[in-house]
Amino acid sequence: MTTLPSPSPAVARAGGEHLLEVQGLSVEFRTPYGVVRAVRDVSYTLDRGETLAILGESGSGKSVSAQTIMGILESPPGHVTGGRILYHGQDMLTMPKDEQRKLRGPEISMVFQDALSALNPVFTVGAQIAEMFRAHRGASKKEGLEKAAELMDRVRIPNARGRLKDYPHQFSGGMRQRVMIAMALALDPTVLIADEPTTALDVTVQAQIMDLLQELQAENGMGVILITHDLGVVNEVADRVAVMYAGSIVETGLIDEVFSRPAHPYTVGLMSSIPRVDARDTRLTPIVGAPPNLARIPSGCAFHPRCPRAQDVCAVEAPALVEVAPGRRSACHFAEEVLSA
Amino acid sequence: MPEPLLEVKGLVKHFPITLGVVRQKQVGAVRAVDGVDLALYPQETVGLVGESGCGKSTVTKVLMALEKPTAGQVLHHGKDVFSMSAKEQKQFRRSVQIIFQDPYTSLNPRMTVGDIVGEPWEIHPEVLPKKGRQAAVQDLLERVGLNPDFINRYPHQFSGGQRQRIGIARALALKPEVIVCDEPVSALDVSVQAQVVNLLGDLQQEFGLSYLFIAHDLSVVRHISDRVNVMYLGRIIESGTNEDVYERPAHPYTQALLSAVPSHDPAARGQKKRIVLQGDLPSPADPPTGCHFRTRCFKAQDVCAQEYPPLVDRGQGHPSACHFAEVVDVVPVEDAASAPDRVTSLRKTRGR
Repeated sequence: MTTLPSPSPAVARAGGEHLLEVQGLSVEFRTPYGVVRAVRDVSYTLDRGETLAILGESGSGKSVSAQTIMGILESPPGHVTGGRILYHGQDMLTMPKDEQRKLRGPEISMVFQDALSALNPVFTVGAQIAEMFRAHRGASKKEGLEKAAELMDRVRIPNARGRLKDYPHQFSGGMRQRVMIAMALALDPTVLIADEPTTALDVTVQAQIMDLLQELQAENGMGVILITHDLGVVNEVADRVAVMYAGSIVETGLIDEVFSRPAHPYTVGLMSSIPRVDARDTRLTPIVGAPPNLARIPSGCAFHPRCPRAQDVCAVEAPALVEVAPGRRSACHFAEEVLSA
Repeated sequence: MPEPLLEVKGLVKHFPITLGVVRQKQVGAVRAVDGVDLALYPQETVGLVGESGCGKSTVTKVLMALEKPTAGQVLHHGKDVFSMSAKEQKQFRRSVQIIFQDPYTSLNPRMTVGDIVGEPWEIHPEVLPKKGRQAAVQDLLERVGLNPDFINRYPHQFSGGQRQRIGIARALALKPEVIVCDEPVSALDVSVQAQVVNLLGDLQQEFGLSYLFIAHDLSVVRHISDRVNVMYLGRIIESGTNEDVYERPAHPYTQALLSAVPSHDPAARGQKKRIVLQGDLPSPADPPTGCHFRTRCFKAQDVCAQEYPPLVDRGQGHPSACHFAEVVDVVPVEDAASAPDRVTSLRKTRGR
């Protein structure tokens, strides 16, 4: 494994381009019940060595943009209706299929939430990890298994060599997630997309996996996109965060700034609705109502029916995601007031 | 002290592991619950926390008399539930209700909301005469924050949070003393979770309910519970008031568990001493000798493999099951005044 130095995001940006850039991406699902607009004009960037968290509740569209990057969007019913995904400046969406295949796996890889259903139950884990080398590097079966053992060791699976011939069901949840991480890291990618990597795990195991991901990131300087609904996990590991609601990004910025001074009423609502383990508050302040159905997104600002600050303008005009402070963007007509509240 | 409403004494539940189809020879047992004591007093909330596989759901099943215990007793107002007459047992089942984790599978998709919420009265007709039932269902729906006009709708027409409210309305129908909440908010979105937690708090005040609140989310348990029990592999390893367990944890497992919960406050990041446990939960079919936690414990000594440490107060003011119990301040007490300074200093040190 080559250990690459991890330049700070600022240095990478000076070179003029981001590692990965999603520009104005829109994705919809054409279902018999109507068009579900899962991703609406979403843009974000990722630099080397950085962790970008995409935070959202279920049905906010947070996984769909990642699935589009990985080319695993189910189509039909899913259709990309606009936007570009630039990897080192090249648009992945218009690239020929075989070019795309050279990026997905070796350069950009993904860890899924549910390792038990993401792994093939009828192949040994060794064979599944080795397949990465056989498919992309033309390695022999023996070489592949050799590499698989090294990787399993690297993700700290005890007795890695001895467990090569075990099947996914013989591993615990945490160990299975390590196998998935080993597969994702097999070809030393520069971008790792982790879609709710610890949601199915207990907190003590979650801590192990998040630590492992951070160590591996420090080793090879990859950019990580962490998709999650857990504000605590975001706060512990992310550098920047993009908050999604009803298919759009409503707020972005550095994690400390967004979490200590949110600039969108939805982020404010999220922060005040979770109880804390380190303080006992008497009453939570929830957001009223429930997230909207993406087939029937409210007019204007999608959050307005649940927003305590909503005015007439919010139902009519969708606020753009604009800069409200250096490095901070918010899609709210009253962002300034939210920020100074 | 008043008499407990519900008491569990020395509860043991083993599930046999059998071999063969016809003769079913028993070759072992999954020791799901291995000696648990619990008491629930009027109008209080007792939290039971633990990771998956620790036996917390088995405790609820036995407590609700849905499973027979291998040993031990469940006492309702001092009377053993498993030696009650059928009539008394029916009364017991009326006064102890449950809210399930998954609002999608715990409501019958073919029944209307009115039928679901009103069904308990079919079984216990003495609670409410037939005449007033529709109005009573509407009252209940309104009480849990649903539109009473939804009475003829089906579960699929509701969101997850609304379905959980239907489940709560059903549990309230028989005017119970105790509601067992088995992970009631873990399937819900963050913004909806808080609504249900607040509702449970309001209902407790209004109806004088007692809750046994089972969850793996330590923050939610802290928010809602008066007393907390921490379970590990079939046993309670620490027990005390909310403050005892969260502010003065004495057992290494509780400390590790608390230290692993990520905080969403930037100021609190890096303030906690993280205790990362090695390895996984051992199999309850073959638990370690002595202390069950010793295989993952950073304090383990020889004595831990030989002797099970009983759950007693070892000078920390509340009981814990560790030979080397010692209070450690895992979660720093919030000091609001200095919080902004800490954010800035953190930002400086964090730049990668």
